[in-house]
Amino acid sequence: MYKKLPLLLIIGVLLFALPSLLFALTADEIIGEMDRLSTFETTYSIGSIQTTDRFGTKTSQFKSWSQGKKDSLIEFTSKAERGQKILRTEGSLYLFYPDAEQLIRMQGAALRQSMLGSDISYEDMTEEKNTLDNYTAKLEREETFKGRECYVLTLTAKTRSVAYPIQKIWVDKQTYLVWKAEYSTAQGRLLKVMEVLDTFNSGNRVLPKQSKIEDKMKKNSSTLMTVDSFEANPKLDRSIFTLENLTW
Amino acid sequence: MMTKLSKIAFRNIFRNLRRSILSGAAIAVSAMSIVMLFGLLDGMEHDMANNLKSYYTGEVRIRNVEFEKHERYNPLHLGVDWKKIEPILADNNSVVTATPRINFPASMYLGDETHGVMGIGVDFEREKAFIDFASILQEGRVPQSGKNEMLIGFALARDMHLTPGDKVTLLSTTATRGTNAITMEIVGTAGFPVAGLNANTIWAPIDRVQYFLRMGDLTQEILVLLTDGTDEKIVATQIQDEIQAKLGEETETRSWQNINMMYSLFKIAKISYYFIAVFFFVLGSTVIINTTMMIIFERMREIGMLSALGMHGSELTKLFLLEGFFISMIGSAVGVIIGYVGTYYMGKVGLNFTEAFSGMDMEISSILYPETSLVKTVIIWAYAVIISTLATFIPSRRASKIQPVEALRYV
Amino acid sequence: MKFIFTLAMKNLFRYKRRTIITAVAIAAGLMMYLLVDSLLLGVEQESERNLIWYETSSIRIHQTAYWPDRQLYPLEKAIKDPRKVINLLKENGWTATERTVFTADMILYSEDFGEDGNLGVLVTAIDPESDNNVFHFEDTLLEGRFLNKGETNGILIGSWFAEDIGAKIGYWITLLTRGNGGFYEAIDVQVVGIVNCPNPNVNRTLIMMDKDTAGTLLGMDGAVTEIDILLPSRADVDIEVTKIQAVLEAAGLSDLEARSWREMAKDYLAIAETKRGGTAIILFLVFIIAAVGISNTMLMAMYERTRELGMMRAMGMSDNHIRLAFLFEAGGIGFLGAIIGIILGALGNLYMVNIGFDLGFIMRNMDLGYRIQSIMRGAWSVKSFFIAFIAGVGLSMIVSLFPIRRALKIDIPACLRHQ
Repeated sequence: MYKKLPLLLIIGVLLFALPSLLFALTADEIIGEMDRLSTFETTYSIGSIQTTDRFGTKTSQFKSWSQGKKDSLIEFTSKAERGQKILRTEGSLYLFYPDAEQLIRMQGAALRQSMLGSDISYEDMTEEKNTLDNYTAKLEREETFKGRECYVLTLTAKTRSVAYPIQKIWVDKQTYLVWKAEYSTAQGRLLKVMEVLDTFNSGNRVLPKQSKIEDKMKKNSSTLMTVDSFEANPKLDRSIFTLENLTW
Repeated sequence: MMTKLSKIAFRNIFRNLRRSILSGAAIAVSAMSIVMLFGLLDGMEHDMANNLKSYYTGEVRIRNVEFEKHERYNPLHLGVDWKKIEPILADNNSVVTATPRINFPASMYLGDETHGVMGIGVDFEREKAFIDFASILQEGRVPQSGKNEMLIGFALARDMHLTPGDKVTLLSTTATRGTNAITMEIVGTAGFPVAGLNANTIWAPIDRVQYFLRMGDLTQEILVLLTDGTDEKIVATQIQDEIQAKLGEETETRSWQNINMMYSLFKIAKISYYFIAVFFFVLGSTVIINTTMMIIFERMREIGMLSALGMHGSELTKLFLLEGFFISMIGSAVGVIIGYVGTYYMGKVGLNFTEAFSGMDMEISSILYPETSLVKTVIIWAYAVIISTLATFIPSRRASKIQPVEALRYV
Repeated sequence: MKFIFTLAMKNLFRYKRRTIITAVAIAAGLMMYLLVDSLLLGVEQESERNLIWYETSSIRIHQTAYWPDRQLYPLEKAIKDPRKVINLLKENGWTATERTVFTADMILYSEDFGEDGNLGVLVTAIDPESDNNVFHFEDTLLEGRFLNKGETNGILIGSWFAEDIGAKIGYWITLLTRGNGGFYEAIDVQVVGIVNCPNPNVNRTLIMMDKDTAGTLLGMDGAVTEIDILLPSRADVDIEVTKIQAVLEAAGLSDLEARSWREMAKDYLAIAETKRGGTAIILFLVFIIAAVGISNTMLMAMYERTRELGMMRAMGMSDNHIRLAFLFEAGGIGFLGAIIGIILGALGNLYMVNIGFDLGFIMRNMDLGYRIQSIMRGAWSVKSFFIAFIAGVGLSMIVSLFPIRRALKIDIPACLRHQ
């Protein structure tokens, strides 16, 4: 009887552990799922961006279309920016202004400029959804955030060309929505914090309705992104993601 | 006794005309040079002040009271309302004219190539009293209000290979803290006497700039020109109070002397030049003193003779003093008159320097107008007289103390 | 001929007092001319010097791809092996130093500054040991101390900048920047020194730190964005640029290019606008006064000798010989005066060029807003010394001709009677 105990113990442990082993996700898998659930074949949304800085608060409205991971078009509808468009395609960013007779191409260091004076830079906007290309992911722990159970992961940049060397993200265990993200330097200095304040459902996915981005280096600097309406996979004329269309 | 001495002194002057003329000429040339030097310096100072006032500050500058605090961020939304302030200025008797301006840093795009420039929105018509664009044009013409046209510094045009007819796109941050871009046609190039403006600036009609930068009716600053002779500091305060009273708005209204950095540089340049003037003065004085002293020494025998004949001590000194005095009065007068006339003439005609200036090739030749000043001229005259009279004093006193025998032996 | 010459020289020593007085008068005039010329040249060179000593250096080397994008300060277009380049330049006789210039956001915290703020700045990372061989910041320290090599947290800041933001020694600032490649990086730095130099632009915008610290921060791997070279003031910049370019190519460093300060000057604000031509006129006026002084003195010296001249005529010396003798004497006095004048001028110049006049005492009493260090310096000009010398001797001789001629014309008894 006693000789069989170690074997029983082993089998017992295995039996208990098996489910967890079977169902535990790796950091990479979490990230992969997170990316997958935030990517659509096409989208159309209407939203606003509210910027607060030393001079006060300002709001701009826009319409936005996207295609897969790489192409997107934003058109501003608020008065101060009416008619201005930002097109992201073929790895570059193009700006269209109604009073300009040429497109302005943003590349290299110019992308680091902030869009509309907000805490979001053009570079942030051209960020591709292939997180694992740029970062190594590590699962730190699980934590409850805003009443939701989340995975807390640390992303470490693989190369120097990644803007944020370290990211810490809170990913909803159920919906894979990123509730919070902390962006830091390699030394761990906090640069920006993104937090989702409200969500909405689209089909079986949960997406951020209102997100707040705060620049932690500058006091009194924050940006609020709000999605007012959203359409997943609408029929889109693909030509809107071309340069020719931009100048229309 | 004095009149007798005076007569003797006078006769002495004519007795040895050559010597008198020599001495007088030295004094005259020195005095003339000093007068002309000051005329030149005044002209240069005036020129610098003019540049400062025309291109940067006006005589009085009006801005939003909050602007300075945030100046580093170029807060375009912190502007002043031109339409409301202009009538107040028009009412003020000390004001000749005023013009609105907007300074905005921008990126100039030609295709993919981009270059940082300083854009200035101006009312080309009103600017005539400040910057006469038509007269500094090198190519093309002055932009018209209401059109997307601009003027560009000639060095900038040359470096970017731009000519009138070319179009460029400007991208800038707006008053709503967003961005905007506008395409404008270059219709002319200008050569500014302030070198930096030639390499970095573009000038566009202010109404288009207000539209482009979403400024509505606001302008960033208003430059004001006052009638000649008014105290800028007093009028500045006056205007500030008037605007406060009529519009209930506080503004930053300052005279050009109180606009820190630029004026400091101007002051420094002024000091440097006056330092040189002092050197000059010393040189001129040295020549005067030297000449007068030489003459006294030359006349040692004569002094000895006079001494032997009974003229002594203070009388002798006074005699030579008087001689010196008369010669210097005439010599100095001749000198300053020639200097004054010469400066006046140069002031009318202008000194034109087309020599290649070392260093920065964004400079253009310009004309310098020396200025006459009656007050300064008279002071210089008096100074020369005093200096040369004093110069005769010391050696003549020494000479008068020498024993006649010694002096007579002098060869 | 030899007799005449000896006669002239003996005369010089015979009337020692007169010779000396005349020579000194000539010397004084020439010295003044030289000093004013030097000052004027110094003033003219001032803006050039301000640029070269504090902003551009004489020649700057960049990677070729850097220049077209220079307004963006692209860190990736850097010079890979600066040590090698500097040693190469040193071997060929050029003094150089390496620098990395990068943009950053300067973040101020209310603990030190009373209120929070941030502004875009340009940071210049230097090699504290060799930077002062090319630039002149060591003389400009107002408060605190200069940077030490390898300094991890210290920065220097321009005095006007410090005044603008209210910075004092010991205050902490955070610099937020993008490293080589684009990654965000932040560093806390402390103000250890404040500099006040004659270049107002520098005073308004300067932030300096150690380049090794910056290099680590930015991931430069030892590369720097520029190498600066200082040339001696009399060098021809364009020729040197060509030479340096050739040396670089010969060493296989063809992806580097050298640029003179003139090319770079356009990017920097021109400071005070001085009218170059005006100084030429001032110099001319000075010359006139000096010339008058010399002429006058000479004329009088020669007129006094009329009796003597008459004596020589009476004794049978030919007119030409007499003229020559007096010319030599005049030339001799002129020579003496010129030598003394040049020596005095050189001494004065040494002081003015190296020490200069501190105009600060005048400016302290004026409310200029910003304090500025303004030392009026002179400048060397071999040409001017040459002119002064020739003028001194030449003018003396030419001018002496007049009294000589007159004395030769009148009859001998009249000559002898001359008083």
